[in-house]
Amino acid sequence: MRRLFLSLLLLVSICACSVERAPLVASDVTITRPIPGTETTAAYFTLSNNTTQEITITHVTSTEFESVQIHESVIEDGMSRMYKLGDLRILAGTSVQFQPGGKHLMLMRPIGDFDAVTLDFHAGKAVMLSVAVSMTD
Amino acid sequence: MSRKNVFIAAVAVFAIATGGWLSYQLASPPPIPQTATVLPVAGELAEFSLVDHHGAEIGRDTFRGYWNLVFFGFTHCPDICPLTMQVLASARQQLAEKGHAPLPRIVLVSVDPERDTPEILSQYIAFFGDGNLGITGSLDELRKLTNGLGIYFEKTGLDEEDYSVDHSAVVLVINPDGKFQAVFGTPHAAASFVHDLPIIVAGR
Repeated sequence: MRRLFLSLLLLVSICACSVERAPLVASDVTITRPIPGTETTAAYFTLSNNTTQEITITHVTSTEFESVQIHESVIEDGMSRMYKLGDLRILAGTSVQFQPGGKHLMLMRPIGDFDAVTLDFHAGKAVMLSVAVSMTD
Repeated sequence: MSRKNVFIAAVAVFAIATGGWLSYQLASPPPIPQTATVLPVAGELAEFSLVDHHGAEIGRDTFRGYWNLVFFGFTHCPDICPLTMQVLASARQQLAEKGHAPLPRIVLVSVDPERDTPEILSQYIAFFGDGNLGITGSLDELRKLTNGLGIYFEKTGLDEEDYSVDHSAVVLVINPDGKFQAVFGTPHAAASFVHDLPIIVAGR
């Protein structure tokens, strides 16, 4: 009985190790289909840095769109403006929100027909994170 | 009780009820808009020559006959513009459910006429419901419309290939006489339009 208990404990420990959190996680990813007549849409999500070091995302690519840019919408003095952001720094143990009316990925010029979009988040030459998500209507 | 007494009693009840209703009406102030700023005197629009989403030539008379909720944006805008159009569509839907009449017409005036052809606008505005109006045309003519309304827009480069357009984020109310009646500032919420628009319509 004691041996069985120890075996179970060991098994639980192994499982716990195997679900260790990834360094960078994108949650609640939402991409709506481009509105008819247009070739652009936006991606929204929460990007979490689970490490103890800062992560810098230099650019994002997608195999389904010709161009992906990191943007931020702001309303200043009654004007709606959209800025292209450079490197995206995510401090250790923090999250960055990409949400309507704020930071978003602008996806431009779709390539062919597809239902799911893959987003690759790059830190220089390395792909830090790759996520695939179905578009919503 | 004789017929005469019944009649007198009925008249008395009617008089009391009417008096009560009148005093209530006089005592309670009329509702006022919470978000919109209403112009004391509706403003004339400058004359202009643009095209609608069917490609037909239009001038300022195109606004006549409708309560127009007018937004200035562009179809390559992935965030603020669809968000605002969605808010306006949702507001109109809620007004319809409340039985409000007349329902407003949603108008998108493109500040990016270079890319927004009538064909593109036609598909875009249909996504947000029936009966919407899209307006595009030459920059010079567009400025005739926007300058008099305090609407600004400016093209800005994103990179060598792509550009964006900064633009005023307000929503204007143009009344069925084709005159500028009110303005909704940001941030836009459907509830603001649902609350204020019936008051603006009633107060005209």
